[in-house]
Amino acid sequence: MKFNKILVLLLTLLLVAGNLSGCSGSKETKSSGKTDQEDRATVTEGETETAAGEASSDSKWEYKEATLTLLTDGEVSLAGLEAVLALAKEKLGITVEVEQRAGGADGDNIVKTRLASGDMADLCIYNAGSLLTALNPSEYFLDLSNEDWIARLDDTFKGAVTIDNAAYGIPMASSQAGGVFYSKAIYKELGLKVPKTWEEFIANCDAIKAAGKTAILGTFSDSWTAQVLFLGDYYNVAAQDPNFAKDFEAGKTKYATNEAGLSSWKKLAETKEYYNEDCLATTYDDGCDIMANGEAGHWIMLTQALSNIYELYGDQVNGIGVFAIPGDDPANQGLTIWMPQAIYGNKNTDKTEDILRFMEFYVSDEALDAYAGSVLPDGPYCIKDYELPDTAYDAVKNDMQPYFNDGRVISALEFITPVKGPGCLAISQACVTGQTTAEESAADYDADCLKQAVQLGLNWE
Amino acid sequence: MKKKKKCILLGDVFGILGVFLIFVIPFIFMIANSLKERREANLLSIEFPEMPMFSNYLEVFKANNYILITAFKNSALVTAGSVFLMILTCSMAGHVLSRRKDRLTGCINMVVLSGLMVPPAIMPTIWLMQGLHIYKTMHGMILIEVALQIPFTILLYRGFMATIPVEMEEAGYMDGCSRLKMFSRIVFPLLKPVTATVIILNAVTVFNDFTNPLYFLPGTKNATVQLTLYNFMGQYSSSYNLLFADVIIITVPMLILFIIFNKKIVDGMVAGAVKG
Amino acid sequence: MDKKKMYSNWFLVPALTLFTIFFILPMIISFFFSMTVWNFTDFKFVGFDNFKLFFSENSLNIGIKNTLLYAVLTCGLKVVLALLIAVFLTSGIKSKNILRSVVFFPNLVSTIAIGVTFKALMHPSKGLINKVLEFVGIPGADWLGNTKLALFSIIGTDVWKGVSIATVIYIAGIQSIDRVYYEAASIDGANGWKRFWNVTIPLCRPAMNSVILLAFIGGLRSFDLIWAMTGGGPGFATDVMASIVYKQYAAGFYGLSTAGNVIMFLLIAVLAFPLQKYLLSREVD
Repeated sequence: MKFNKILVLLLTLLLVAGNLSGCSGSKETKSSGKTDQEDRATVTEGETETAAGEASSDSKWEYKEATLTLLTDGEVSLAGLEAVLALAKEKLGITVEVEQRAGGADGDNIVKTRLASGDMADLCIYNAGSLLTALNPSEYFLDLSNEDWIARLDDTFKGAVTIDNAAYGIPMASSQAGGVFYSKAIYKELGLKVPKTWEEFIANCDAIKAAGKTAILGTFSDSWTAQVLFLGDYYNVAAQDPNFAKDFEAGKTKYATNEAGLSSWKKLAETKEYYNEDCLATTYDDGCDIMANGEAGHWIMLTQALSNIYELYGDQVNGIGVFAIPGDDPANQGLTIWMPQAIYGNKNTDKTEDILRFMEFYVSDEALDAYAGSVLPDGPYCIKDYELPDTAYDAVKNDMQPYFNDGRVISALEFITPVKGPGCLAISQACVTGQTTAEESAADYDADCLKQAVQLGLNWE
Repeated sequence: MKKKKKCILLGDVFGILGVFLIFVIPFIFMIANSLKERREANLLSIEFPEMPMFSNYLEVFKANNYILITAFKNSALVTAGSVFLMILTCSMAGHVLSRRKDRLTGCINMVVLSGLMVPPAIMPTIWLMQGLHIYKTMHGMILIEVALQIPFTILLYRGFMATIPVEMEEAGYMDGCSRLKMFSRIVFPLLKPVTATVIILNAVTVFNDFTNPLYFLPGTKNATVQLTLYNFMGQYSSSYNLLFADVIIITVPMLILFIIFNKKIVDGMVAGAVKG
Repeated sequence: MDKKKMYSNWFLVPALTLFTIFFILPMIISFFFSMTVWNFTDFKFVGFDNFKLFFSENSLNIGIKNTLLYAVLTCGLKVVLALLIAVFLTSGIKSKNILRSVVFFPNLVSTIAIGVTFKALMHPSKGLINKVLEFVGIPGADWLGNTKLALFSIIGTDVWKGVSIATVIYIAGIQSIDRVYYEAASIDGANGWKRFWNVTIPLCRPAMNSVILLAFIGGLRSFDLIWAMTGGGPGFATDVMASIVYKQYAAGFYGLSTAGNVIMFLLIAVLAFPLQKYLLSREVD
């Protein structure tokens, strides 16, 4: 009998160890549904042992069993989140059940309906910035501004989740940027240099096109990808007109009439001849495949795609470089950055204590280490004093970090003002495919933003 | 006569060929790709794989904590419940609307017809359902589906009633049959063919409905099969094999229903929609 | 015989109650909310501002044009094609039973599923349709990416899916035609074409009217298929009324979305009621 017990204990420990290493090494998020379940089962078996062991050695976290639900979209890479969740289960005793929803406009719709109907999960992963404001968060989300650990949050990020002095969310992942991915191989083959101005960029595109390759990859089957160029050009808009965001929110300036604003739309219109022929049938996932295999010169994309590529192709990701969307001034080329999605806590549950416990853990160094051990960052973390790991992708370490070092970064407009037209993706899509001119698109977008302003109760006109 | 036979044979060959090309190939395409490995399926060719991967189906079932099984339960409940209620309410209404021709029924006919034409007002409906505390409940969803299909179903029943001779009812009435009894014993059995049509057409509509559950029945516990497919489209946008496996799985129940009621569909339509 | 006594009004009550609460009432309420800025918890009355905003929008023009084009074309194609298929399937061919079933198949698959499938079939570089065209030497097209073509590609798919119901209605109509008419026509020496033109068509006019009305209204309201195939894109090229309304709803503009809904049902009412009147008046002749 005794022998059996020992055997069981040994086997369990073995399983736990195997599970932990398996977890951090897991790169297959696409099919992670299965492995995740297996993980969960094994963790349950070994739970008591681990918990007892931890309690003696590390008393920082209180261990109390609880279950929380979490709603997220399927588009973010979940491997990092899952690594933290596994650790939270072990250290805090909190089991988090992840539920996936659609992304894009339908995702917004699902989140809004579930909030309005009181059916939100305990934790909700959703955008920071303008989209958060549209949710009416004071009704639904916990105010975190009185927790001591909130001081760890980076100020820009905190600004994007703060409304009327109440902070609602913690960063779910690293920050990222909207920039131009380029194939190092193609650049080398054609002897191209990383462009410093928009003109040089277009010249590079011409060269790639002349060589019979796709100059810019379009993945507009997922229409949101069409707006990255427009949104990512905000650094250049702000460089030209520092008051743009303020005036725009006040309704005093419009894209159609502001020189700086209009130039973004002109860039969109200018790129139309460089896309692949089947750009409207190519999806974001296809795009990751194509870039990883070096089959296109450029892709104007959020750097989160680096992680998606890494998950599928490993080190091939380092064949890709990133530069900021160029403006006109070669001396002032800067990067527009995206705040990560935030995790919000549902205010209307009886699990407030567990939610806060989980959130405090999530922003701790320990959790960040687990996260970074599973998914490499797409940009700096939004936690003060937490350094990028050495293993970061070349594009992040070598190409993006200098922008941060020199302070040549700015948050995308949607994190600065709540006014973002919901039709942005379709308007951008129409513009990059040459259906509308830059001027028409700018006017369309102004009209679209007016609707948002009306809904927000801003007094335009 | 011989020439005519030849003609018919030619028609057979031609018809089978045409129908096969237009209506069957897309289905073969779905099945073939549902059995492939991800990369192979993404080539979108119609060839059958050398090694069919039936595990795709298993994976679809397992996805998101076996959500598909919950979804099947929900869809079956909504479909069965609403079709049952439609038959009950609309056969009675159609019966009376066909037999009586006065100002009131004229008015009602008009209102019902308008229901066929104008789209439902979604947001106010949600608002109203919240007020009644039936928003995102199964019975709330059933009532909505019934309300939306009432015009079409009444139309079918009313049309079919017109082909049933009135004498039997009159005889029953003379014998002192109560009105409810007259309907349930005499009239309803005669409505069998059109009831079969109602079952298949409405079951297909409700089971395949995507928009209304999207609006009126949010929440994972309430997922219906069409919503799972929709979520899959976001989640597995580049895994056509799983997408098509899901498509096949959620089409099978309607196929079975169709095989059961196949012969009856046209019979019920005969007078149903034609005289509508 | 006293009809009022024989057929009780009570029989109408269950259906009418449900219909009134869940259809008529929300419709009436929607007129109110269409004049508000509404986020579900609060609303602010703004008069006709929502309608002004809606009409000032560029995409609405495209939307209305597309809606009409979509309704007219799907309806027209279904009316003609279904009639031909129905005549064929009621002729003496042996395989008619199996063919009838097969033609009905697409109707069993959900619109979303059909959207996924045809999107794949119409893929510009990998899709089966272009591969086949290439094989026979015709250059393919970007079926859903070309802004001039996209709506027509969806219309084609819609007809593929919807032709079966129309066919069933026609078959029912043709089968209910008394054989006597055909025999009389044969004795008069009418050939097949004449019999079709002078007997079948006039006598299945009621069926045809049902098909026209159902297909036209269905076309005006259609949303699922467009949403699954293009989401209204590229840009706004395939937006219809229903997808515009849905987009406003998804953006959280509930008042605006309700106003769009009101515009949509006024538009449909203005078109569909006269059409129905007209069809009925021809039927009496």
